[in-house]
Amino acid sequence: MRVHGVERGVSRAGRPTSLFHIEMSQRYRHTAGFADPFYRGIDQGVLRATRCDGCGAAWFPPRPFCPVDLAETAWYDLPGTGTVTAATRVHIPPPFGGVEAPYLLASIRLDGVEGGITHRVLGDRIPEKGTVVAVKFMEGVPAHPLLRAAFEIEGRAA
Amino acid sequence: MNGPTRRRDAGDRVFVVGVGMTPFAGFRDDATVRDMVVEAARSALIDAGAGAAAVDMGVAAYESDHFNRQMSLGHVLHEAVGLVGKPAVRVEGGGATGALAIRTAVMALGSGAARSVLVFGGEANGRSVDRSTASEILAMSADFEWETPVFGTFAAPYALMITEHMRRYGTTPEQFAAVAVKNRRMALDNPYAHKGMSITVDDVLASRPLSDPYRLLDASLLSDGAAAVLLATGDWAERHASTFGDRPPVAVLGTGSATDHPRLSDRPDDMFPHFAAKRRAAEQAYRSAGLDDPADEIDVAEVYDSFSGAELQAYEDLGLCPVGKGGPAAAEGRFDLGGQTPVNTSGGLLGRGSAVGATGIAQAVEIVAQLRGEAAGPRAVPDARIGITDTHAGVGALSVVNVFGRAA
Repeated sequence: MRVHGVERGVSRAGRPTSLFHIEMSQRYRHTAGFADPFYRGIDQGVLRATRCDGCGAAWFPPRPFCPVDLAETAWYDLPGTGTVTAATRVHIPPPFGGVEAPYLLASIRLDGVEGGITHRVLGDRIPEKGTVVAVKFMEGVPAHPLLRAAFEIEGRAA
Repeated sequence: MNGPTRRRDAGDRVFVVGVGMTPFAGFRDDATVRDMVVEAARSALIDAGAGAAAVDMGVAAYESDHFNRQMSLGHVLHEAVGLVGKPAVRVEGGGATGALAIRTAVMALGSGAARSVLVFGGEANGRSVDRSTASEILAMSADFEWETPVFGTFAAPYALMITEHMRRYGTTPEQFAAVAVKNRRMALDNPYAHKGMSITVDDVLASRPLSDPYRLLDASLLSDGAAAVLLATGDWAERHASTFGDRPPVAVLGTGSATDHPRLSDRPDDMFPHFAAKRRAAEQAYRSAGLDDPADEIDVAEVYDSFSGAELQAYEDLGLCPVGKGGPAAAEGRFDLGGQTPVNTSGGLLGRGSAVGATGIAQAVEIVAQLRGEAAGPRAVPDARIGITDTHAGVGALSVVNVFGRAA
């Protein structure tokens, strides 16, 4: 932490006031934790989820235990396709950077798993509900590993 | 007390014996969050005619160490408002923090752990940090592992919900812009409001886009502010609160809380444009308050208008209008002054503003003022007897609905 200076003045309410200009910054070692195989999958061009071998229930985002029978889950590969529930054009870039605004964001129901992901869709036109999308893995080092993936529009659902 | 509760008898009622708040502002350059909470708590105690020494317990409400720049703020505030030595608890529930603190106090009173509880909340959400830093911090209230990296702003998930609401029910941007116009107009009459404005639907539609279809004037304000309420049993109030007999007593008639999948994309398709947790919380709160027909029985409501469209979605999920009809109801003025149920007479988050830890408490302050007949000027709702507050965390991940009623 660092105090850069003190500003003396009069508050909006007309009272004398002192403003301390303080800087704090942190750098974290943030683990992917249980989701490590997901991020390794992203590097290899595949989206991964987990399922319970006992009851067959499957989850994205992945979870380590089945909440129903408490068994450990197993990782498997998703086909990488899904269907848009709703989409928007976002005019403010995400906090980690790496994406120029405006960009398209959609809530996507993923094939092969119960659940979905809210993620970036490539293109200019906001996709309608029912639009079929497929994951595309981007070249280069993204601002955040999750941004290595994005979705491309494949077409309308049958 | 978790889950449905029986209708309260007069003997074990929880009364709101004092209320207080600071004005909400874009930046309080003359007050720390501690100063603001002390100011609000003092106002609530003076309003009750009670000293802190007689109070049994404190509940502190705040969300973010990043904004407030103080870890363990709860017991710092507890000492500052004069409760050192008494039991303390800090409550956090995102946007529902203040309302959850009130609910926690009601539970403490219901259990017999306390006969009086001072609930105080505050947040320095205003411009002590620049806009991009504020956005970064706020983005952390999405799921940091799976959402934060791709969301530019919290407008995005709200925009996804209202987009589906528009597709399914024909809701229009003009209809939710009407909410933004109404709440900013209400704020003009509230001296505690952050920023009242006299604007038109066209002004909203012409403001800068955030996340389609939402624009800048559809979005609520980030404020500095604090609020406090003193809750107590009737016995305690008669003994320690000297103003208790001076005006119509206001009781907490019911409270409800429920949760939903925090990530929007995990929610079932049929509920995608709806706040499922809000529906459950409202049902629970109404059941505990003995309300059978909320649209008819509720006279005034403070609703969580983080975005203009979220208010019209909330009309539906709170049972104030049929599902899918929130848009036309907003445009027709059903929730404006003189309508079926005036909503956000304080100005709401859009006009009064939002200092997260204080927001749900400030809503209760407004409802109590309406029920006591103390709300002044055009925003007064004549002869209001039952009022509710509604807040949620995230995009409806956790909801709290509290019901208040004039007891005489």
